[in-house]
Amino acid sequence: MKLTNLHIGYSTTLLEIQELNLEAGKIYALIGANGRGKTTFMKTLIGQIPAISGGISIGNKASSVLSPIEKSKLFGFVQSRFAGVPYMKAKEYVALGRSPYTNAFGRLSTKDEDIVNQSFSTLEIEHLADKFTEELSDGERQMLAIAKVLTQETQYIFLDEPTAFLDYSNKKRVLEKLIEIAKNLNKVIIYSSHDLELALNYSDEMICIPHQENIMKCFLKKDIDFNGLVNICFG
Amino acid sequence: MHIKKNRFLLLVLLVILPIAFVCHFAAGEISISWSTFSDAWLHFDSSNSEHLIVREFRFPRFVMACLAGSALSVSGLMMQTLFNNPLAGPYILGINSGSSLFVAISLMTGFTFFQNDFGLVSSALIGALVFGFIILGISFKIKQGISLLLIGLMLGSFSGALISILQYLSEANALKMFTLWAMGSLQQVQTAQLPFILLLFFLGMIASFFIVKPLNAFVLGETEAELLGISIRNIRLLIILITAVLTGLVTAFCGPIAFIGLAVPNLVKIIFKTQDHRILLPASLILGAVFLVFCDIVVQLFAETLPLPINAVTSLIGAPMVIYFIVKRIAR
Repeated sequence: MKLTNLHIGYSTTLLEIQELNLEAGKIYALIGANGRGKTTFMKTLIGQIPAISGGISIGNKASSVLSPIEKSKLFGFVQSRFAGVPYMKAKEYVALGRSPYTNAFGRLSTKDEDIVNQSFSTLEIEHLADKFTEELSDGERQMLAIAKVLTQETQYIFLDEPTAFLDYSNKKRVLEKLIEIAKNLNKVIIYSSHDLELALNYSDEMICIPHQENIMKCFLKKDIDFNGLVNICFG
Repeated sequence: MHIKKNRFLLLVLLVILPIAFVCHFAAGEISISWSTFSDAWLHFDSSNSEHLIVREFRFPRFVMACLAGSALSVSGLMMQTLFNNPLAGPYILGINSGSSLFVAISLMTGFTFFQNDFGLVSSALIGALVFGFIILGISFKIKQGISLLLIGLMLGSFSGALISILQYLSEANALKMFTLWAMGSLQQVQTAQLPFILLLFFLGMIASFFIVKPLNAFVLGETEAELLGISIRNIRLLIILITAVLTGLVTAFCGPIAFIGLAVPNLVKIIFKTQDHRILLPASLILGAVFLVFCDIVVQLFAETLPLPINAVTSLIGAPMVIYFIVKRIAR
């Protein structure tokens, strides 16, 4: 995915991205203060909000020409919290990730079933499959949300503050799994976070929204440390 | 494993329906033997009053109980999914009130969209559609489920007030017709009207079976549904259209029937413990029919001593059930 001179926002430019190349097999942490446009940035990239100007291209195709179903096969998005649904079992929930691929009645083929099971084993949460989503902990539900996005088989996975509602060990566990997924399945993963230290440890590059100007900056992990990050993003 | 169990439960429900039919038939005020029942169809004699009772009263009443129960339950299920709220339903959200208001207007002012029988039906359908779109429009602005329910109730009392004014101004005959209609009854339907009702019913049902996949995604909320490639605008419209047709149809012929659309889908979810509409939809369809047939058996049993309108029975059974659902949810 390549971004060039992209202006994002609702009616006026909230953020500007001069150039950014998102590469397969890499994991990106998106850092910025509240209200600076992290979610808007991600929603623009997955095509839920139109860009004000500039382009997003995937391969050599502009993302603006994609149909809803094409988008759903290319971009996965994990909301910061899945609160569970009454009477819905974990497996039922994760299997919904296959929706873009199933027939008009949502019938799962053997292949679909295999992919669902594979997602459970990739995240090592097979034991949750038959539990009700309402009865699980926030950490377990976050894993399920990631399993669902895996079954969607998208090249790009976006996560909106995936660690916000988790305790320390669950935060680490989720981020470790995300790295594993990016490397082993050769996906592009972008997640926003306020856990700066964790984000520094668990990412290849940091995409920063500076607190003073509206132009996004991107740093390789080795080029920035905790204090530098705080200075740029929060002043 | 749980898929097999659910199929078995569906089968059990399906077996209960003919049993309900037998009880419904046997509960009738005038007892008619089963041989007369079959004769009424095989060797029909138009001078035989028992044959006429079977063909013109018992049979359409049973069929209407099934259709109305199913239509309201399926509508309720779809509204609960669309608004992501287990307490949604055609009655609570004021879809019924829309029908009532428009029926009141056409009965008491004489204004109809079409002449004859079809006039009342079209009024009820248009009323349901208008109020359906009002609720849908408001739901774009308001995300909290509870506010939406309150607005549904407000729509109900608003149209209730308009109806009272109409009642005050209208003449005795029209007033009586409307009051009888508003009490709800499964006996107003004539056999000759059944084909038309069945046609609309099946159209609505077939359409709803074609949106089980979007409905399953809607359970996670509209944002998630959109991320799964569902075009939410079209599906929202389709759901409102289907529920308005199903609810309007029932309301036109049977009057406003309360609580079925709310209680049955919740009962189905408790029994089947799933959110898969490939199970919930047929289950609501069958259980809705069984539920209303059962209520009508109660009506028939008390008919001699205490003539109950069907609406009173569904409320007497449905309201405590709904209170139970709410208490159970909040206690969790």
